[in-house]
Amino acid sequence: MEFFNNILNTMLPEIAILLFIFILIILSMTLDLKHYKLAKWITLLGIFTATALCTKIQVEPIAYGFKDTFISDYYTLFFKFVLLIASFIIVFLTKKAITSRRDNAFQFNAILLTAILGALILVSANDFLTMFISMETLGFATFFLLAFDKGYKSKEATFKYILISAVATAVFLFGVSYIYGLTGTVNFSKIYEYFLDVDPTLLYSMATIFIASGLCFKLGVIPFANWILDVYEGADTSVVTFVSIIPKVAMFSILSRLLVFAMSYSFELTFTLVVISVMTALWANTLAIRQTNIKRLLACSSSANAAYVLFAASLVSVFNLSTVLFYLVAYVFMNIGVFSAVIILENSQFSNRLYEFKNFAYTNPIFTLCFSICILGLAGFPITSGFVSKLYLFSAIIRSGLVFLPFLIIMMLTIVASVFYYLTVVRLMFDKSDKVESEVIPHKTSSAIVILYFCALITVIMGIFPSKVIELCQFIAYNV
Amino acid sequence: MNFLSVLVLIFSPLVASGLIFTSFFKNNEVRIRRFSKTFAGLHFLYTLMFLVFFNPQAEGISYYKEITFFGSGWIEPLGLKLAFGLDGLALLMVILTSLIVFLALIASKSNIKQKHKFYYSLIFLLQTAVLGVFCARDMFVFFMFWELELIPMYFLIGQWGDAKAKSSAMKFVLYTFFGSLFMLLGILLLHFYYFATYGVMTGDFSSILVSAPEFPLALQVLISILFLIGFAVKLPLVPLHTWLPDAHVDAPTPVSMILAAVLLKMGAFGIIRFNMQMLPDAFKVLVPALLIMALINIIYTAFIAYSQTDLKRVVAYSSISHMGIVLFGLCSLNLMSFSGAVFQMLSHGLISAGLFMVVGIIYIRTKTRQISELGGLAAVMPRLAGFSIILTLAAVGLPLLMGFVGEFMVFLGSFNSALDDILPIKLYTLIAVLILVLSVCYMLRLLHETFYSNLLEKWHNLKDIMMHEFTVLSIISFCIVVFGVFPMFIINIVQPLLTGILEFLR
Repeated sequence: MEFFNNILNTMLPEIAILLFIFILIILSMTLDLKHYKLAKWITLLGIFTATALCTKIQVEPIAYGFKDTFISDYYTLFFKFVLLIASFIIVFLTKKAITSRRDNAFQFNAILLTAILGALILVSANDFLTMFISMETLGFATFFLLAFDKGYKSKEATFKYILISAVATAVFLFGVSYIYGLTGTVNFSKIYEYFLDVDPTLLYSMATIFIASGLCFKLGVIPFANWILDVYEGADTSVVTFVSIIPKVAMFSILSRLLVFAMSYSFELTFTLVVISVMTALWANTLAIRQTNIKRLLACSSSANAAYVLFAASLVSVFNLSTVLFYLVAYVFMNIGVFSAVIILENSQFSNRLYEFKNFAYTNPIFTLCFSICILGLAGFPITSGFVSKLYLFSAIIRSGLVFLPFLIIMMLTIVASVFYYLTVVRLMFDKSDKVESEVIPHKTSSAIVILYFCALITVIMGIFPSKVIELCQFIAYNV
Repeated sequence: MNFLSVLVLIFSPLVASGLIFTSFFKNNEVRIRRFSKTFAGLHFLYTLMFLVFFNPQAEGISYYKEITFFGSGWIEPLGLKLAFGLDGLALLMVILTSLIVFLALIASKSNIKQKHKFYYSLIFLLQTAVLGVFCARDMFVFFMFWELELIPMYFLIGQWGDAKAKSSAMKFVLYTFFGSLFMLLGILLLHFYYFATYGVMTGDFSSILVSAPEFPLALQVLISILFLIGFAVKLPLVPLHTWLPDAHVDAPTPVSMILAAVLLKMGAFGIIRFNMQMLPDAFKVLVPALLIMALINIIYTAFIAYSQTDLKRVVAYSSISHMGIVLFGLCSLNLMSFSGAVFQMLSHGLISAGLFMVVGIIYIRTKTRQISELGGLAAVMPRLAGFSIILTLAAVGLPLLMGFVGEFMVFLGSFNSALDDILPIKLYTLIAVLILVLSVCYMLRLLHETFYSNLLEKWHNLKDIMMHEFTVLSIISFCIVVFGVFPMFIINIVQPLLTGILEFLR
């Protein structure tokens, strides 16, 4: 009976997703091929149900499930909402990926839901085992999604992703084994309590650094960042959108929780993470300058953005956590907007080369406006949420002490470099060129266009009136 | 007086920039241009109304307004408000901005041949951003508009400019962004230390103004230096000035006018607002270094201006030199030179706009800006030559013209400055006064070689200035003469404010 109570209190959205995965798999074996469009709607229904059930789970007081391995509070609820809403939008973008392989439509959606399931459990994980299992669920599902595209490039990208993922996982587990050896437990709260009495040793710091660098893989941050360009270029764009958002957001949620509880005693870890994030910002932003492919450029950009967030996340405080939350929310919408624009371009037979963007401002003014808003948001120009989120993030870093000021200055200088490539993308759309035919983007990708407009709108609204969202983020951060 | 709202002042150009895209204008270039000119003219009259009802002696901020959204401010959790207001200095800058934008739009007729809708809407967006900078009453709002101004400027230089315009525009953006990040750091530090000391988060100028002097001096100096880096890029101060000649040379004429007349003033305005008004103690510490840098700015760029072969570059470098005089006046800590510096900001705004207009007119007709290829143009363009004489003489500081008043007040004030006890400021002033000779050298050379040496064969058929060009130049010349004769009209508006700032600096 306790088992079912646990489920009812804490796991409802996950159970709903699981149910819909089974439905999809069963339907894939029974339904005729021509009903392939049904898969998308079932997936959407599943995500919608899960979102609705999120309101039913217990968060106050904090609910633990399955012998403290699973936790449910305002923090996890917030992240589940963000993840589900983001994946709800992303499902609309998968249209092209599915139409090219109709026979696998149901499998694709089932795997997509599995990845979401992994992300949802990861957010709620309260010990290293749950965390590892959910991380791998998310990871394995991502392998299939990445390899879904027929081109050889996607296979190559997937292989690269799998290899580096394996190394990262090994490093992560290595760190966890040390922690287990030191404390005799894998539960976050128990590890936290254990070190209240015992002074953490250097071994503890080593272990936490190993764990954190294992997590850096999914964030696309430096020790395991070199997969990001090829994977973003090779895989189907809707899958890339998924990979650039869902694992990242889920990973930041669990990393922040770890830094607040189990890994909160090590200054070496904080310092390492700060150095890592500054190095990543340097690496990604200089690499991006020479890119001529929009997807590779966005890969660098997503890596750089993860670095900014990691900087604030590693300096643990309630205020910093709230800035991380706000940055992630802002980033999710800007990133989906940018990628939906890339998808629109792909669907209208443009390649991903930047020089093909010429003339857009004159043939598709509204598309250009919205795309520019999202890109300028990523660059951090005002009237977008990108500006507010960067401002808020830096204000948090400044508060954490003047020790980190030199690092912050280096990171800000790399942002100057990032302005260069973001503005180049926008500028190219306003360039006039005689060579490129001025083709109007067809309306067959209406859902992607609606999503682009929606994301641009949200970006602007959150840039002008961010108060309410920031207040929400602060409330969530206070309740961790 | 209720119809005077600072929000209308700032955001009406934004509305206009949106209106241009409505179907009413289609692609009718004439209609767009006429609408823009009319609108900018009305906007200028509206700003003049603020002047009429402005009381310079009033304490605090006039026309204060705040934007709220469902009862909460801009970023409520950080205590930031979208607050705007005007004081004497801001009012003068607002009027200058509005006037220059109006003139630039008139001048656009012969310069802008393509993408009209986009151009005019960007100019209005730029106007909103610049007005926002001048009217902001919150550090972060100031910073937001400061950044916002980059995007329209980037496109204005890059899309309508000459050969290397795109890279010049990028250079402009990167330099300014580089500087503004340091400024952001300074703002954040100030914001944080105010919170750490008083437990209240705010970005409001007036609150920080009162309490910033109580912070530790080392911190104040650090913040002050961070601000200075940001403003030095815009001013520009010598090691960070290299974006300016490129941006000016490649920008189309109207954009050059706005860039020189308004955007450079943002740097000086920022120094007054942040460094002098908010961190007076730190400014006193930095004054010796700043005076030297201002001297270098004045003399070094004057020499460079003399050695240029491109008309527009001469004017661009003379701009830097004249902004050096502004900085020199600000650092002398003397009411006379301070007022002179503010006056110099206005006079340089008008004169440089006029000079860029002249260069632009010549360039459109001859397709060259090389001084060596021109000559004797006065014979074919007598009216242009006449205006050029007024503008050049104003730039070199001929009495009874606007340029003279500013420079004279700056140098007179700095010569009598109380800093004499600790610094050889009399010597500095003597060196700085050399600019009067140097500027005569490069300006009269420019005037002579362009308008009065031998007329080349190929320039015999040049047409004299057209009606809209005549309008722009005559408005500028009129202002230069009138305020050269009656400078106190302008100085009286700011003097109470400047006296207040100086009291803290002594």
